[in-house]
Amino acid sequence: MTGTGPILRAEGVEKGFRRGVPPRRRRIEVLKGASLEVRRGELVGLVGENGSGKSTLMKVIVGLLERDAGPVELDGKLGYCPQIPLLWEKLTVAEHFELFARAYALDPAAAGRASSDLLDELQFERYRNYRIEDLSGGTRQKLNLALALMHSPNLLLLDEPYSGFDWETYLRFWEMSERRRDEGMGILIVSHFLSERERLDRIYELRDGRCVES
Amino acid sequence: MSAIALSGADFLREHLRARLTLVLLIVIPALFVLASASVLGEFASALGGSVAGDSASALGAGWAAAFLAGALGFFQISSSREADRRLALAGMGASRVAVGRIFASVVLGVLISVVAFLALLLSAGIAHPAHTFVAILIFSLTYIGIGTLVGSFVSGALEGSLTVAFIFLIDAFSGPGMSDSGGIAQVMPTRKAADVLIDAGAGMGSPVSDWIAVGLITLGALALAATAFWLSARPRSA
Repeated sequence: MTGTGPILRAEGVEKGFRRGVPPRRRRIEVLKGASLEVRRGELVGLVGENGSGKSTLMKVIVGLLERDAGPVELDGKLGYCPQIPLLWEKLTVAEHFELFARAYALDPAAAGRASSDLLDELQFERYRNYRIEDLSGGTRQKLNLALALMHSPNLLLLDEPYSGFDWETYLRFWEMSERRRDEGMGILIVSHFLSERERLDRIYELRDGRCVES
Repeated sequence: MSAIALSGADFLREHLRARLTLVLLIVIPALFVLASASVLGEFASALGGSVAGDSASALGAGWAAAFLAGALGFFQISSSREADRRLALAGMGASRVAVGRIFASVVLGVLISVVAFLALLLSAGIAHPAHTFVAILIFSLTYIGIGTLVGSFVSGALEGSLTVAFIFLIDAFSGPGMSDSGGIAQVMPTRKAADVLIDAGAGMGSPVSDWIAVGLITLGALALAATAFWLSARPRSA
């Protein structure tokens, strides 16, 4: 992919799961040739009914699930915010930032700046030294989002990132996303609400295992 | 300190901050060692074995370490699988996550062994302290391999703990000194370690062949654990 081309391109992605035990073992095809692309400076929505495969497609794109077929091309640094916060219950918020800073290979100064900025931006600075087990669902979700953003990715994949947010945080989340989009970040977001459609530049609907641009 | 060691320290902290784990870390070795001198001897006698006295106490310390290490090995892999996978994906890589987890597991294994050894030292006295400690550590490291292996196949906390406990019970009650050591006892992973520990408890040394065997089994168990952690941190195929 070139510098002006898409930063994410998935073409004809297929993914199925085996379920049950023999002799009642069966295969469920979730993705049957899903294709989409995201360009720099674009805020793209991925919508679909419950069970349509939105999270599966996200996991395939980021590499958490192996795909059965179809190329996925990514250009640049990837940030991923899973639907359910994937965190360690006994570690603190600050320790999570340190752990992910090492994963992203950030130097300590950059990591410190990034974590402070995100704690401030999402307004959960006072929980810096709290363990995850002591946080509310919404604050866990803030950390989940912050960890995806701390290395300033070019491409951000968000799987229903605002579940548990209060209204103010929800609005702040969209402001943050739009600001980053305007700075050139490509964002793909799984969304459910019709009211959000006006915030998105383009929308893909996942229907019968395929993406339809609407 | 390297990134791997720091990550390993975080993984270790995660376990040591669980209060119940710390309580069990003290209570289980004390219980096993105190109970083993009398109860283990009676069990052994009923099963056709002959272990008793200081050997039974030493064996109790080994089993306490094995039980705790197996449970912690299982929970290390099962409770953090998805988060570890996310960390690997973020750039840590499955190999470095696995090395961090092995680092944490080995430190936990040493801690568990120290506590079990101290319980034994305080309650029964030991003729061959170094010999005994190494044998207890071998029990512990072997069961870290077993616990992580179970954790890589069984995701549920209840099913996984029961599976580890089931393997532990078969291993313990079919081991040397506990039964006539025929059949399944020949292939159980801690058989040689139990031989070494019983010898240590009785104030005797062990043949070089036993030490080589337990060394190879321990290395195999750690390799198994490292592979399980690595596979767990990699993308899933289905």
